[in-house]
Amino acid sequence: MPEELRLEMLNVTKAYGNLLALDDVSFDLRAGEVHALLGHNGAGKSTLVKILSGVVLPDSGTIKIDGVAVSPRNPRHAQELGIALVDQELSLVPVLTVEENLLLGSARTSRRQAASLRKQLRPLLDSLGLEHVALSSVTGSLPIGEQQLVEIARALSRDARIIILDEPTATLSDHEIAKVFSAVRGLTAQGKSVIYVSHRLGEVLKLCQRATVFRDGKRIGTRNVADLDRNSLVEMMLGHIPETVRNASAEISDSAEMLSIRSLTIPPRVQGFELDAVGGQIIGLAGQVGCGASEVLRALAGLVPDAHGVVELSGVRLRLGSPGRIRSSGVFFAPNDRKEEGLFLSHSIANNLVATRIPRISRLGFIRKALENANVRKLLDLTGIADDRRALAVGVLSGGNQQKVLIARGIDQQESRMLLFDEPSRGVDVGGRSDIHNLIRGAADQGNVVVFSSTELDEVLDLADVVITMFAGRIVSVRPRSEATASNVLTDMTHGAEVLTS
Amino acid sequence: MSTSLSTKSMVNLQSASTAKKITVLVTVIFIALLLFGTLTTDGFYSTENFKAIINSAALVGVIAVGMTYIVISGNLFSLSVGTTAAVSAMTFLWALRFGMIAAIVITVAFGAVVIGLQGLLVGSTGANPIIVTIGAGALLEAMATWISGGVSVYPPADGPSYAFLYNPLFGVPFPVYVFIVVVIIGELVIKRSKFGRGIYLMGESPRAGRTAGLPTIALTTGAFVTAGICTAIAGILLGAFNQSGTLTSTGTLTVDSISAVLVGGTAVVGGRGSVTRTAVGAILVAAIGDMLLLRGYSPPIQLLALGIIVTVVVVLSYLNSGKGSRS
Repeated sequence: MPEELRLEMLNVTKAYGNLLALDDVSFDLRAGEVHALLGHNGAGKSTLVKILSGVVLPDSGTIKIDGVAVSPRNPRHAQELGIALVDQELSLVPVLTVEENLLLGSARTSRRQAASLRKQLRPLLDSLGLEHVALSSVTGSLPIGEQQLVEIARALSRDARIIILDEPTATLSDHEIAKVFSAVRGLTAQGKSVIYVSHRLGEVLKLCQRATVFRDGKRIGTRNVADLDRNSLVEMMLGHIPETVRNASAEISDSAEMLSIRSLTIPPRVQGFELDAVGGQIIGLAGQVGCGASEVLRALAGLVPDAHGVVELSGVRLRLGSPGRIRSSGVFFAPNDRKEEGLFLSHSIANNLVATRIPRISRLGFIRKALENANVRKLLDLTGIADDRRALAVGVLSGGNQQKVLIARGIDQQESRMLLFDEPSRGVDVGGRSDIHNLIRGAADQGNVVVFSSTELDEVLDLADVVITMFAGRIVSVRPRSEATASNVLTDMTHGAEVLTS
Repeated sequence: MSTSLSTKSMVNLQSASTAKKITVLVTVIFIALLLFGTLTTDGFYSTENFKAIINSAALVGVIAVGMTYIVISGNLFSLSVGTTAAVSAMTFLWALRFGMIAAIVITVAFGAVVIGLQGLLVGSTGANPIIVTIGAGALLEAMATWISGGVSVYPPADGPSYAFLYNPLFGVPFPVYVFIVVVIIGELVIKRSKFGRGIYLMGESPRAGRTAGLPTIALTTGAFVTAGICTAIAGILLGAFNQSGTLTSTGTLTVDSISAVLVGGTAVVGGRGSVTRTAVGAILVAAIGDMLLLRGYSPPIQLLALGIIVTVVVVLSYLNSGKGSRS
């Protein structure tokens, strides 16, 4: 049956404002195949998945299932069309039982159907290796990996012909991944089709028959996996990335800060993270979403209460789990979500700029206007935002300028010793990005230890002096910039050392 | 991805400006009502009546200044201020046996600790402030009843004179001076101090505050301690005026002080507002009460009016903050 087409997408286009998320893309899926979708963040994979699952509507293009033109209007409609999505974020209700979750939101409503469905649940769970999980157990009490399997079971329980698995294994152990694989193979044996979205090239090579690679909203190509290996996949994903090597950073002064991290563990995401760095160096943590880099930075900023390990900054041990204390020992952190966690949106630009240095601009408990103004002027100068806009609410600025305020806020010439930037240029255009990178380089040149995380390869290669790749909560490789290339970093970001087997 | 983020920020900003509009609207409507009411009420425009208004605003106003700190810090309200004020009055009259200064110090410390502990609980556990403060108020009432045996507390016969606390000074009742001083200090601290700046920022976004390294537990506790100090001061004035202290003397202080904050235009969602606005709010609330009284409406009707105002303002601000409407 290999040539029988289950799904066809023809010339599909979707734009968000000026950004073409999918540019005239065609894609097909055969009956009984596992088809991998590959590509960088922002390549267009998620948009395609969202269109199929009815979350967004395409601007143009045709979708056919078994030769019949369809257009999924909303997630429920997509489900009725036989498309089931297992999202990378868990959507189970933790307080409900496994059975209630499995039946939740099922498109079949008649009581008899529900009863017959219920009978199928037990064998379904068994087939995913969940023999020991009772249908009556409370979902939230299961380990996260088993919850993910329940999530997959829910998608399977719907009589779907097309099952989309979006990063289904990001939180699973090798043992659990094997169960998912065998469940997927069981599905295809029944003639169902699976779209497998993953950054893990090892899994793709093992499980999938064909792979389609996206880049910048375009389809780069579709190949038989049998004809591919890791290197050829990486090459397709990369396309042309300029190999910029920045000049070796400024000389490291004797008084530079020293950072030492030993066996940092952040349950359940990160295990045994170690790092040595000196001031002036920019350390880039590269990895896909969920690789643990962001958690490492948050833990260093004191924002993860159950992180443990030994972190010393110039010989002084930092107390993880206490953001206030860590802040006063000279550590600044810029989170990746500037709207929710970074900025005080309706407060003025000036207020936001000095929010992390209130003690510095105060004397005897009161804020000194002169000190505050001097600091605001200095920081505005760094951001390039005109001085007369200082009283505006920061929320009215463009994303790039907001991000500059957030970054500049962390840069402090006198007090700072270590700066942490989680996705420093997320959602920022090219010009803004280079300004932000210059700000960060300037801070490193003043002797700060700088650690940033990024899921974007070109940002890592542009900014880092030392590139650390992470995968599934562990360090894969540590390379000085001179030895890091787009292809070896991307290879390490996407499949890890030989983590995946069987 | 970036699209959804920027839409979200627009919503935030829109709701921020809508919240601002609502708060302004409330104040404007209130003043309009007042103008209309007073123009048609006999005896409103007289020096004596203005004195009465400002005097009754003083007590509520002092508590409302403290309440403003809690609201701006993003922790809604303390619903235990009424009970705390009553128990503070009892504490003060009882403690007069140790002398005036000692009695004031003991009472202020009492208020600061009682309400401050609620803040510590809210700040360190993230518990809902409304529930915590209701619980604390009930606990305090029970304990006060138990310790006092349920009877009124009277000042010791041979104790220091406290008549100056309610007698007029230069023709103006003493509590009015206290009110003015509390407002000035309260405004200065919240606008100019490190503590005040932290409260505004934290009230705007507790998560961003934590990430920026603000001492959020200390700030929350501090806001409640401030409210406790103000409440205790009001309790002292109340005890002196009544010359006896009972649990039932609180009247409607809690709802009055919350109305003063909201009518003044401090946003219930936190991060914005000011102590001066609250002072104006306290006077407006007192004026409405006075007008209703002059027109022959009983106190329950005044309470009804305030209840409607508070409910409408809270519901409107929540609908627009997005906290309540979507989920």
